[in-house]
Amino acid sequence: MDCADQNPMPDAANFRRPPEVVMRLARMGSFHQTRLSFMRSLLRRLKNEDWKFKRNLWAIDEQGFGRAVYTVYGPERNYSLVAFSHDLPDEMRSDRVIATAWDTTFSLYDGIPTTADLDRLEQNVPKQEAGRISDSELSLSRANRSVRLWQHVVARLSAGRQPDCDQLEAVGYLVRTTAVYGSGKFGAADRLSIAGRPEVSAPFQAELLSVWLTRAFSLDLVEHIARARGGDQAVAIEPEMRRRVGVGNSTGLGMAPFLINHPALLNNWMMAREEALARVRALPQAETEAIADFKRHFERACFNVSQWHSEHPIQIEKLGALRADLELMASYIADESLSEDHPWDRFYRWAEASLSLEGQEQLVSLLLEPYGELVDELTQCMDADEHLAFFIDGAMPVARLCEIIETRCQWALQVDYGQLENRARFWYTSAEKLEPRVGERFHEPGAEYELPLAIGYDIKQMHAALTVWEGGQTTAEFLLLHPEHRHTARRVQNLAVRPYAEIQDNLIAADMLPIDILRCKLSFFGATKFDPRSDRWVRICMYQDAPFPHELLAAAP
Amino acid sequence: MSYRLTLAETETSLRKVARACGLDWGIAEEAGKAARWLAAFNLPGPETMLAHLLQLSAKDYRAFIPQGSAQPWHASGGLLCPIITGAALADRSAQMLEGKVFTLGPTAYPLLLAATVGQAARCHQTVFTTAWAGVRVSCFENGLSIEGDLDDLLLTRVDAVSCQQDDLSSPQQLPSTLAYAIDEEIVKQIDKLAFKTYAPATEASRAGAGAGLTDND
Repeated sequence: MDCADQNPMPDAANFRRPPEVVMRLARMGSFHQTRLSFMRSLLRRLKNEDWKFKRNLWAIDEQGFGRAVYTVYGPERNYSLVAFSHDLPDEMRSDRVIATAWDTTFSLYDGIPTTADLDRLEQNVPKQEAGRISDSELSLSRANRSVRLWQHVVARLSAGRQPDCDQLEAVGYLVRTTAVYGSGKFGAADRLSIAGRPEVSAPFQAELLSVWLTRAFSLDLVEHIARARGGDQAVAIEPEMRRRVGVGNSTGLGMAPFLINHPALLNNWMMAREEALARVRALPQAETEAIADFKRHFERACFNVSQWHSEHPIQIEKLGALRADLELMASYIADESLSEDHPWDRFYRWAEASLSLEGQEQLVSLLLEPYGELVDELTQCMDADEHLAFFIDGAMPVARLCEIIETRCQWALQVDYGQLENRARFWYTSAEKLEPRVGERFHEPGAEYELPLAIGYDIKQMHAALTVWEGGQTTAEFLLLHPEHRHTARRVQNLAVRPYAEIQDNLIAADMLPIDILRCKLSFFGATKFDPRSDRWVRICMYQDAPFPHELLAAAP
Repeated sequence: MSYRLTLAETETSLRKVARACGLDWGIAEEAGKAARWLAAFNLPGPETMLAHLLQLSAKDYRAFIPQGSAQPWHASGGLLCPIITGAALADRSAQMLEGKVFTLGPTAYPLLLAATVGQAARCHQTVFTTAWAGVRVSCFENGLSIEGDLDDLLLTRVDAVSCQQDDLSSPQQLPSTLAYAIDEEIVKQIDKLAFKTYAPATEASRAGAGAGLTDND
């Protein structure tokens, strides 16, 4: 579904930020979760459709090892998280994607598994990439304990005491996932098989459902072990503190090319987010209730930022700016009337002139909060058929192809790639890790393995090649003799109809920060507490403060 | 032994094999899509694609492409590549939609050509039919149908092929699958070739991409 198909506010188009403003890495790397984020839209659906929940199996021994099944029951279909908990020696514990053993491993089963299914999965899921799952499984994932916090929580609960709030806040989760695989990987069901199901057709719904249930499992497991150790004196975590426990994730370069390799999807995510912001900015007035709601969310954001820590210099600086921005915003809210004409647009324009990118994007998220009725429907147009972006219009004259580049790709043409720092990097797949990596073109071997992710450079190369062709010749004729530009021609033609499809920055520049790409994607998931550990991997928290399945959903019989 | 290859794995792997065999990424993408499309209808797309790419490997691209615009199309090396030629035909969809019939001379693995052109049929929500020897393969938006002599389907080379828009009112759609059963030995060959697109590790690539070896915090 296209956003344009459901536009109750034609006026919003006048308030939409153009791609050249939005699609910059520095801004994308400052995105925060919004109410359109996939975790939030998932939980909204489960609640609105009155899904049910049941822990169908808990076969975990006193050491905390064994298997469990968590099932959510929908109006038409059920889904089950199958969880395995293992004895993992400390020396084998690693968040690297190349690890071979984990504390816990998971698969989201399409339906309710039989014992035979569980036995089959127990032979494969703990091996992760080295195992095979089937058409009946929608995801494959793993998580390791945060050892420090885990031991603390078990010790406290088993002794009948609550965990220390500061220690719990400092980490934010008991287990940390790494890769969560779906969509046909390692034998899992192809995306095609679930694309027609409304509950999982939006991006990453199956994967994020598995993560939500993983969080519940992690809390149940820690309380189970505490009870086994402490017996009658053991206690459960108090509900309010329990909700402050999310589930962590470590994500590196492997995820970065996804946004570049899915231009139609990226366009639709961005379009939905920008349309949502534009609709709010286009509102001529703000109702009292909406202003109050905004202020509540603002207070919440201030608290969350106070709990957001990072040791990485880049993020420390950004957090400092964000905290200053929040103070400025607080003054604005106190001093400026939000009952004037187009108050949210005024607020946004003030922010654009006064705040850092972190603060501006925090405001974007906050502005959407009071307006679920206006913007939530946009989540319906955030999936995409990537095949539609695959088609090349071979009849397009070369002159038109050039025109698209010249009007939409100045960001690519303006870069002087003769300067070595402007093509200092190259993206490749590592034979050792089987994952995408970034190399130094002029200092490392391997540039001959370069992946087609140097989009700006490639566009400029194609533009140069096109200049010697007659304007009336066709793209088909050009590409037959220049197959090396076929990938780029596809992307350029796509830009004419999907203006937010490309990151408008140099992805092979010496100063490019892969964590900006990661943060953009993870913010669409709904992640919080971005904590970069270098310029190329990041830790995050998911589902912190979200309700648990037994809180959000009624018990299944 | 049979191995269950998902469609996503089929597309990704064959794209990499095509790249490893010397095709540019944009054409390699067509190869991945075509292999996936055939596998989705239980046709031997991955195996056929592998066989074709192996014979293409390390040879001059220009020897396999159509020369000039005169019909039937011919390759200077004697045999048209079905991926490159299929992509060239897909790029000329507009002419086929206007009724033009394209004819080709000697062509390798015409089933691969039908599947590559078929990707454009999906986008245009129309039917493109490719015919050779005694068989006709029609691709449409969500399906594929085959008429004629099935023995000709997997010919490794034919002397004449035609390609045009068609009007199938009630096509006999083949049943589709989400995972393709394939000989495990062929998967090993595919994986081995795909692996050639990966860069060997260096000291620098080992540093900095993730957490340290222990992560017990």
